[in-house]
Formats: sequence, C-alpha cells, structure tokens
Amino acid sequence: MRDKGDLAFALLLPILTFALMYGAFGGQTLFTATASIVDEDRGIYAERLIEGVDSIDGISVDLITAEEADTKLDRSDLKMVLFIPPDFSATLASGAQAELVFKQRGNGGQEGQILSSMIQGVAGQINQEFQVSSRVKAELEGRGISEDTIGVTVRNLLAAERQQPALGVDEEVIGGSPDFINQYLPGIVTMYVLFSLSMMARTIVEERRRGTLERLLTTRLNVGELFFGKFLSTVARGFIQTFILLALSYAVFQMFTPLSFLASLVISIIFASAAAALGMIIASVSRTEEAANWIAVVVTMFMVMMGGTFFEVTEGSVLATIGTVSINTYANEAYKTVISQGGSLGETWPQLVVLVGVAVVGLIISRMIFRAVPGSK
Amino acid sequence: MAEEYVVVKDLHKSFKDFKAVNGVSFSISRGEIFGLLGPNGAGKTTTIRMLSTVLEADSGEVTIGGHSVKREAEAVRSLIGVCPQDLALYEDLSALDNMVFFGRMAGLDGKAAKEQALANLKLMGLQERARGKIAKYSGGMKRRINLAIALMGNPQLLFLDEPTVGIDPQSRNNIYENILGLQEKGMTILYTTHYMEEADRLCQRIAVMDGGQIIAMDTPRNLKSKIGSPDKVTLEDVFLNLTGRSLRD
Repeated sequence: MRDKGDLAFALLLPILTFALMYGAFGGQTLFTATASIVDEDRGIYAERLIEGVDSIDGISVDLITAEEADTKLDRSDLKMVLFIPPDFSATLASGAQAELVFKQRGNGGQEGQILSSMIQGVAGQINQEFQVSSRVKAELEGRGISEDTIGVTVRNLLAAERQQPALGVDEEVIGGSPDFINQYLPGIVTMYVLFSLSMMARTIVEERRRGTLERLLTTRLNVGELFFGKFLSTVARGFIQTFILLALSYAVFQMFTPLSFLASLVISIIFASAAAALGMIIASVSRTEEAANWIAVVVTMFMVMMGGTFFEVTEGSVLATIGTVSINTYANEAYKTVISQGGSLGETWPQLVVLVGVAVVGLIISRMIFRAVPGSK
Repeated sequence: MAEEYVVVKDLHKSFKDFKAVNGVSFSISRGEIFGLLGPNGAGKTTTIRMLSTVLEADSGEVTIGGHSVKREAEAVRSLIGVCPQDLALYEDLSALDNMVFFGRMAGLDGKAAKEQALANLKLMGLQERARGKIAKYSGGMKRRINLAIALMGNPQLLFLDEPTVGIDPQSRNNIYENILGLQEKGMTILYTTHYMEEADRLCQRIAVMDGGQIIAMDTPRNLKSKIGSPDKVTLEDVFLNLTGRSLRD
C-alpha cells in the first residue's frame, strides 16, 4: 500500500463503480417511458385520453403518424403503439362501444406491457366518466339542467373521489424496497472482493519471483508473519473497497438502516476473509503470475456464475446444487437477507458459518502449501 | 585469536536427489570479509540462504553471534542483512520508500527508518534521487540500493551475494569503498562473487566451493602460493586450477 498509484486506484475504483451505479440506477425508482400514440380521431375524447396519459408521472407522449408507427414497429424501433381510430370520439358520443388498438411487436416487451396497462387505466377512467355522465343526464332530463353543467359536475365529483377514494389501498413495506440497486449491490460487492483476491494472488507470486518475499524473510519477519501479513492485506483491500461501495450506497440511496449497514460490514469482512483464503491458496499453488491470473479468473468466473451474482439460480436446479460450492452463493444470500429483505445479522448465521469455515480451512490449507522461497518449509 | 562470529559445521541441503550443499564447514571472525567463491551451481547461494534463515538445513549446525540459526532464527535475523544476487526491490516505489519499508520490517520505528534510509542513500551517493521510482533507476543505481537496503537495521553480519554483477566501474568502485568502510566499522561480511580480482582485493580469507563442498579455504595469498608465486599467479588461475575449465551451465 506504499505504492501511491496502486492505493489511489484501489480507492478510486469503488467510487468510479458507484458513479456508474448511480448513473444506471440513481433516482430511477420511478417507471419512466414514452407512449407512442397515433391520433387518427383528433376528437374531444381522444384529446382527453392523450392528456390523461401525459399527466401520469414518468410518462411522456410522442404523437406520431400511422406510417411512422408502422415503419418503426417493422424495424423494432418501437415495441408498442396506441392507435386511436378515426371514429373514436363520435362512437363514444353516440353511446356505442369504442375501441382502442394497441399494435405491438411480440408481447410488446416489459415496458410496452406496463404502458398498455397504464393507458387502459386512463381509458377506463374516461369510460367511467362517460357512463356516469350519460346516466345522470338521462335521470335529470327535463329538469332544465344543461348537459355541460352535468358533465362538469360529474367529472369534478369523480376527480374528487379519485383523490380521496372511499376504498383505499395502503402499502405496508416489509423489509427494504426490492428495487434495482438492492438487487445488484450484493453482486457488485462480491465481485469486488473476488477481483481483489485475484490481484493479490498475482502480486504474491510476482513478489516470490522478484525475491522480495525472500528478502522479507531475512528481516524480523518469519514466514508465518509474512503469510498472515499478506492474508490480512488482502482482506483489508477487499474490505476497504466494499466499505466505500456500501457507505456511498448508504449515503446516496439511503438503502440501509444503521443496523443493516453494520450487519453488511460484518458480512463483508467475513466474505473478504473467505475470499482472501482462496487467494492465498491460488498464490501458493501458482508458479508464475500467468498461472495465478488464469486460476484466479477461472475461480472468480465460477464463483460469480454459480453464485447467483447476476442472475437468479432456480432453487433445486442442477445449477443451484453446483452453486453450493461457490462462496458467492452464501455471501449473496447473506447480503440479500439484510439489504433486500431487511433481515438481521442473526438470520444470516448459516451463510456466515459457511464463509467462516471456508476462511479457516482455506487458511490452513494455504499455510501448509505456502512457500515464500521454492524449497523452503 | 579473533572471536568467531559465524560458525558453520557440516552443513547439508538436498533438493530431492540433488545435493546442493554437502558437508560444508567454515567459520568467520568478527570484522572479517570472508569470500565464498565457486562456479554456478556450486552451492554458494544455498549456503547463504541457510545461514540467513530462509532455508532450513537438512543437517549441520550454524551459529551466528552465538545464536543457533535453527533454534534462534529470530535472534539471528536481528543480526543480519542480506543483499541478494537478484535485485529484490519494489520497482513501483521510490528508493526512499523501499528503504523505509525494509527498515520497518527490520524493526526500526518510522522516524529511525527514515533517518537511516537517508543516511544510507547518502552513503551510496543516491540522496538526489531518493524520491525517484526504482523502475527508472539505472542498473548500477539499483545495485547500490540493493546493498543500501541490506544495511537497514544496522546489521552486524552482511551477506553480499554477487553485489556487483553487471554494473559500471564507477558503481562497482563505490560499492567496494562502502564495503571496506563497513568493515572498518566492525561489520562482518560474507561475500560471494565471480570477479576474482574483487575477491582478491576485498577478502581476508576465501573458501572455494564446488559440487556443494568446500574444496579449498585460505587467504588469497596462501591459495595463490599453492600453485606458484603469489605475485605472479592470479586468483582466477587458482580458481580454474581447483574447479577445472569445463562449462557448468
């Protein structure tokens, strides 16, 4: 860590990663999309429908022509377009049933499906207004009240009802919010620790080749102190990088309580210890830097792929069975328990026991095979 | 009789079936520069590694400053400094950082390590480049730093394993002068080299190793007198006479 360039890189990397995370996820808890609409009607109800869609938070409206829509759908530039047919307003006004048309590629994609349901909600409100107004007009016919007055009164009453509905739906939050950052942060953290072990394994092999390990053994250090010094520096590097990521997530995304933050730090230090022990085994068995690199890459990829870091592994599947030998599986589960599910550290004990076990056994094995100088004991 | 600071008795070390060191015995007096010469693969570096606690001997006994290398390795490490044959330096760090780091590892506190590092850099004529990265140093400068690091912690016994390989005459002369200066201060030195005139100039006694054994040991003048007039014969003549002319690599 006396290498200032390396130190700066090690500290800046998690900050840079966080900046990328912020760019990807920051403030994006709200669904945002653009609704592409072809208005062939241009009547009063079409206008009200478009206004209604445009007034939804996060949704903007792009009015396009039918030709543009067909071209863009054909080229997959758009996945879903709402067509308001030419007779839409007239049909509604006559009391007959009017229809909106959604044209989409395939199933319209996730965004298209969400937009479609939102637009159907707006159309439902307009339909409700229309139905109620028609019936009230029929009931009040001949009492000298104008149709406009009835229409405006009904709309205002319905709007007030929507503001303060008689039947409310409350959201009770259990644990943290299951948004994107909560889902991805554990994976990013575990990746960091694994990258850190790769770097240290390579560095130790490089030091052995250069003779600096041997030189250190001629100072006051004995081989045990040298070994544990390298182990602790690997743990420290992984933990400090993790700490920066978690602290920034705490400060910016407010995704932790003080307790869940501390619990995450405890998981981080235990996971970093398990990963560092694996790194020491890699450093001990590798004769060249290239060998250390390749072994570390294979181990890291396996841990990441099988450990559910970036995609869910179905419970009970073959992958899940293979994943039981990946330390990421246990680290991810522990992080998700405290970050996504709002669980306590105590609830993660089965995962922590496995990680501590890997750290202890890994350390014993690596200490047995670790050689600072070839031929030494 | 001078105090025997290093005593090596019947030292053995094998790597699988290869006997690298096979029954080596010698002693070095306090303040003496003792040369260990021999062709490549003779067992010199393995001997130094065992004496400096890096490798454990299969059998034999070594004491340094009265401490057994096997049983009191930590006490021995506090007495020694090692300048290895290969440049064992952190290339991405400055010379000062390298020296302070190894000084701390040798048991000095931060302030003492920095003071001693600056003093040793001055000794080696490198004070102007103290904060330059080792990677940008010339071969001669790296050799001098390699030696300067071995001096961190004020060792009483210095192992110099071919400290002047591949450097210009100016750097080599600087190293000679420093070695003689260290001896004047009472430091004991075990020196290996392939440069015979260097050994002749610096060492009070020389042991010639071959095939893991010491095949001759005496003062340079006495070694030369065994094959002719010491004023006409060179140490290289003695060396070739003892170890033969066949290639070893």
